[in-house]
Amino acid sequence: MEKILNQEKLREWVDMLDDCEVYAPAFADSVWNFARIEAGTDIDLSHTNTIGSVKEFVFPQREVFFRFEKKDGVPVLTPTLPDPKPTVVFGVRPCDGRGMPRNDTVFNKEFVDPYYWARRDKLTLIGLACNLPHSPNCFCQSVGGSPHSEDGLDVLMTDLGDRFHVKGITVKGVEAMERGRDAFDAVRDGDQAEVEKVHDTSRSFPQRPLGNLDAIPEAIRENFDSPLWADMAQHCIGCGICTFLCPTCHCFDINDEVISPTTGEGERVRTWDNCQFPDFTMHTSGHNPRADLGSRLRQRVSHKFLYFVENHKTQQCTGCGRCITECPVGIDIVAVLERVSQ
Amino acid sequence: MTDNLYLPKIGRIVGIDEETQGARAIKTFKVEFPNDDGFEHDCGQCAMLSMFGKGESMISIASSPLVKEYKQFSIMKMGRVTSAFHAAKIGDFIGIRGPYGNQFPLNDWKGRDLVFIGGGVGLAPIWPVIQTAVARRGDFGKITVFYGARTSSDIMYEADFEKLKASAEVQLSVDAPEEGWPGYTGFVPANLMDKAPSPDNAIAITCGPPIMIKFVIQNLQALGFADEQIYTTIENKMKCGVGKCGRCNVGKDYVCVKGPVYSWAELKSLPQEY
Ligand SMILES: Cc1cc2nc3c(=O)[nH]c(=O)nc-3n(C[C@H](O)[C@H](O)[C@H](O)COP(=O)(O)OP(=O)(O)OC[C@H]3O[C@@H](n4cnc5c(N)ncnc54)[C@H](O)[C@@H]3O)c2cc1C
Ligand code: SF4
Ligand code: SF4
Ligand code: FES
Repeated sequence: MEKILNQEKLREWVDMLDDCEVYAPAFADSVWNFARIEAGTDIDLSHTNTIGSVKEFVFPQREVFFRFEKKDGVPVLTPTLPDPKPTVVFGVRPCDGRGMPRNDTVFNKEFVDPYYWARRDKLTLIGLACNLPHSPNCFCQSVGGSPHSEDGLDVLMTDLGDRFHVKGITVKGVEAMERGRDAFDAVRDGDQAEVEKVHDTSRSFPQRPLGNLDAIPEAIRENFDSPLWADMAQHCIGCGICTFLCPTCHCFDINDEVISPTTGEGERVRTWDNCQFPDFTMHTSGHNPRADLGSRLRQRVSHKFLYFVENHKTQQCTGCGRCITECPVGIDIVAVLERVSQ
Repeated sequence: MTDNLYLPKIGRIVGIDEETQGARAIKTFKVEFPNDDGFEHDCGQCAMLSMFGKGESMISIASSPLVKEYKQFSIMKMGRVTSAFHAAKIGDFIGIRGPYGNQFPLNDWKGRDLVFIGGGVGLAPIWPVIQTAVARRGDFGKITVFYGARTSSDIMYEADFEKLKASAEVQLSVDAPEEGWPGYTGFVPANLMDKAPSPDNAIAITCGPPIMIKFVIQNLQALGFADEQIYTTIENKMKCGVGKCGRCNVGKDYVCVKGPVYSWAELKSLPQEY
């Protein structure tokens, strides 16, 4: 389904999704991030990219698996599976969209993660093509994507100045468009050509290059024992920002939190974790297979550009550039890959 | 709705054996499923055990798959969860989810000699294999079990070893000289060299402290065992057990799913990250 939506009709569409939770980028505290949109408010799609990625809608920072308590001396467990309202997210950049099928793979393979899927099944992603690269660190095209990639999105919107071209990609996406039916106009002669022109132009801007993507896995393998990892990782302060903001990083921790020491009542909680933390892999004995910064940087890069490729035939990076832009000490995954590939 | 893989089943401790004393004591727990929702497992698989309020730990299932009434776990006292186990009493409840991981390919070993080499708590993962091999005695050639402990009072499953002698050759060792000790005195790899089992049509299965495994494998190779004839298990820190939390990988493999059982030939092809 392809339609035209005048800029001023965007709010009308959003209003017609009134039985859903709607999120869109909002500018606050000097960053763009997804925020809940109440009915009757305007949404602004002039954002660059959000600081947090859409993975937060399916894989929240903190998630309670179940509550435990004791009744007559016997543990009683109450699962806390989420049951969200249908959720529609506007303004999803194609790099984040492409992250989603990769996350789906992780939370599906071998064992199905019910907490992830409870949210994922209710989620509709309305993408917005990038007419301009939103940061000097964008490299979506270098990892096989594009500024108007449809991969992982339910709808792709393209900004044509006074109006959007809106394309329904999945059943969920078409459904969301049908709900807003009255807001849309038919596609007219010339619209298609204009969309193509905007897309072509968007691909013509320079991005961070990665060279031959197919050669990277072998280059990493050959450099497994190279000193370059330690060299490039030496400034890392292990803050975790690179993975927390990444649309495809999925590592987590599981811990028990005791609410009442007297009754033993508490919760088992999943929280985000990060492969750059020293204790991520440290055994209780103190033995640590990745004890130094270099081996941990190697893990982050290898997971995305070697292991995921070996297991799932695609990179686990969509080139959003967040880990580069936001790293407090300037550790740059593209520069690392460049060094590895030399 | 699919099963909630993070929701443990309830287990009840019905037996506790003190195997070894000291700072890193080992206790063996027999666990039943009071709600009759137990699961089957294969030799080499593990389970995620919980003490509610403390957390979870991955522990090898040390009983044979042929035993259906209970599951057995031998737990070394290390940190939060394992210490809570050591403080537990008969009748206490625990959480249990699994089984996780791959298995020893016992069916591929029909007609072959089996040489087991264990040290310390490393006997636990191979114990179900030994028990199953002995129960299917006719399927295999000669069965030899090497096991070493620090002192004779640190020997695990002592009573079961006595029974085992009827169907297998048992070679016990203690690290330091002891008055009246009938077995070998010295480390496990040395005992292995001393007895020098033949590699012909044999499979060697070893598990124990990393340093022991290293020398056992060197010695097996010296005895003529090929990499494909040597099996071991590896241990990495685990949280989810289901290939999602991202920490237990060795190269592209999540050990919780693809391991913990590997042939030395397979392990050699993976980066040394364990
Ligand atoms: C496949 C496998 C089989 C195992 N089998 C046994 C066994 O049969 N008997 C036994 O005594 N121990 C076994 N272990 C080790 C055992 O899991 C750890 O000693 C235990 O998790 C430590 O937990 P803790 O809460 O006492 O320590 P803490 O340090 O207080 O807890 C830290 C948390 O980190 C994790 N962790 C820390 N060290 C390890 C480790 N070495 N392996 C896995 N997770 C770890 C656990 O999630 C643990 O809850 C096995 C480990 C693996 C990976
Ligand atoms: S690795 Fe960096 S550039 Fe790639 S998707 Fe993650 S945050 Fe974006
Ligand atoms: S954001 Fe930078 S400093 Fe922080 S953990 Fe990642 S690489 Fe290290
Ligand atoms: S324990 Fe989580 S991936 Fe293996």
